[in-house]
Amino acid sequence: MECVIGVVGRDFAVVAADTSAVQSILVHKTDEDKIMLLDSHKLMGASGEPGDRVQFTEFIQKNLHLYQFRNNMPLSTAATANFTRGELATALRKNPYSVNIILAGFDKDAGASMYYIDYIATLHKIDKGAFGYGSYFCLSLMDKLYHPDMTVEEAVDLVDKCIKEIRLRLVVAPQNFAIKIVDKDGARDYARREIGGDSPAAATTAATVATTA
Amino acid sequence: MSRRYDSRTTIFSPEGRLYQVEYAMEAIGNAGSALGILAADGVVLVGEKKVTSKLLQSSRSAEKMYKIDSHLACAVAGIMSDANILINTARLHAQRYALSYQEPIPVEQLVQSLCDTKQGYTQFGGLRPFGVSFLFAGWDKNHGFQLYMSDPSGNYGGWKAAAVGANSQAAQSMLKQDYKDGMTREEAVALALKVLSKTMDSTSLTADKLELAEVFVQPGTGEVQYQVCSPDAMGKLLAKAGLTQPAPEA
Amino acid sequence: MSIFEYNGSAVVAMVGKNCFAIASDRRLGVQLQTVATDFQRVFKIHGKLYIGLSGLASDAQTLYQRLVFKHKLYQLREERDMKPETFASLVSSMLYEKRFGPYFCQPIIAGLGQDDEPFICTMDCIGAKELAKDFVVSGTASESLYGACESMYKPNMEPEELFETISQALLSSVDRDCLSGWGGYVLIVTATEVQERVLKGRMD
Repeated sequence: MECVIGVVGRDFAVVAADTSAVQSILVHKTDEDKIMLLDSHKLMGASGEPGDRVQFTEFIQKNLHLYQFRNNMPLSTAATANFTRGELATALRKNPYSVNIILAGFDKDAGASMYYIDYIATLHKIDKGAFGYGSYFCLSLMDKLYHPDMTVEEAVDLVDKCIKEIRLRLVVAPQNFAIKIVDKDGARDYARREIGGDSPAAATTAATVATTA
Repeated sequence: MSRRYDSRTTIFSPEGRLYQVEYAMEAIGNAGSALGILAADGVVLVGEKKVTSKLLQSSRSAEKMYKIDSHLACAVAGIMSDANILINTARLHAQRYALSYQEPIPVEQLVQSLCDTKQGYTQFGGLRPFGVSFLFAGWDKNHGFQLYMSDPSGNYGGWKAAAVGANSQAAQSMLKQDYKDGMTREEAVALALKVLSKTMDSTSLTADKLELAEVFVQPGTGEVQYQVCSPDAMGKLLAKAGLTQPAPEA
Repeated sequence: MSIFEYNGSAVVAMVGKNCFAIASDRRLGVQLQTVATDFQRVFKIHGKLYIGLSGLASDAQTLYQRLVFKHKLYQLREERDMKPETFASLVSSMLYEKRFGPYFCQPIIAGLGQDDEPFICTMDCIGAKELAKDFVVSGTASESLYGACESMYKPNMEPEELFETISQALLSSVDRDCLSGWGGYVLIVTATEVQERVLKGRMD
């Protein structure tokens, strides 16, 4: 089941999320991107109802772009987090979106920062956090191993340990994970963690091979 | 014939002019003047009070200066009743921005939103334009200290020193001559008082005819502050600048 | 489970001699999971007026932001700060506006009024005011807070003693509540100064 993880290091933030699109007992695909690049220096990792997730993250992204076009300046990470919270909060009592968000960004003045926003629109600034079933393993692991001023290698190593733990202990562990990073040079893909041979793509090929043979 | 083009705000004359808008600007030309100067460490606004009757009971600390938000203030020249409406809109807009983003509104965005309102009244029928010009003084994290001037047509621009109201042309050219980049707030106040003393109609300059407001960053806390000068302090400033004496011929 | 207990909270305010104290716990949880241990539930309205919002964290934030919005406009219009009594009425009417879809918060308001007279009050989530002369409590730890405050409180305490009393009351109360705790945040407000202190309690 869904896992979104985030860690803030010295001058960067890392966001990791599983890449499975699941519906009841079916795995539809294993390369679904759940971490959106909101603008050049912001990452939004989201979990929740797939329709809401796509709709909402895109809505925020487009609003951010509109702001940038209108005012010739980007919105800060804190302002983006509060805007996102506001939108979730107004929606909460009308037609709520079920999305949980880890928002990470880098600002020239404030450096790297990360925010926890759940579907009820609770906003909190954090330096490590997780959503979904994975959070039951990750939070304790991060409490133990996290320290401020982590380097990129240390942070990714921590994320890897979280993924390892999820795969070891979670019955419904997702196959693949994507890791993205944001720092002064911008937001970008960092790495993927995949269980190669077992992916459905590989399975289909295997099935075709079997039938042709 | 002339009736055809100046009775409505939204109709261009054959020469391509909007008479009502120009009349509104004319109205401001008769109002008490105000001027603003951008200094290195803040922004200074000085205004001329027209009504100085002893009998007038003022409920507000300043007549022409309005605080819009903690980091933003304005000086008004023109019809005060019109200005009050616009100031309310401005305050509301600033707070709405803060409510959505939990961050103070960037100065230019506030100015722009207010000018959009003003512009609306030069295009949509049935109403007259706002007879008000503003000087906005503010600070934001992107562009630091800023000074803007806006007129009834909804035009605005950023300035290093600007004047609105009666004799603003003369004041503007004096400012152009005497403005120096990198002035301190103290120097800016002195310059503002000097210019105003020469452009004001009244023969003597007294503390009760002037208003002074400043926007600056508090040295210790780094907080942006808006401060209105008290009449006492004003008197001292005038004395220091040597402007208190009534003009010799008076 | 009640929605008021979703995040877990403990807020308390006490009156001293020409001063008051307001305190809260620091836990942000999602039911039994602790998400953060540096959450804020006590908010500043102006130098001598504070509000503590227990209950659903999201509504606490929404309510606080709307209150700041209204108070700021009041400040600009009136050129002065709001009196605690007036502010309590504002909160009350804002809560009752949402009578049939309320904010899931129980506010505590504490401030210094005219002549620096302390004022504290609490209300339910739809704005029924309850004024008190001694102390007010709210949150998931409110039952234990009542007991602790009842036995520790005495009238006319000086700021230092008040700080000690409210801190001990808060810390001992949250130890008997699973959903709140992880340290505390205390504000002592007198006419001349505001002291802000972060408490370390049982961090488990």
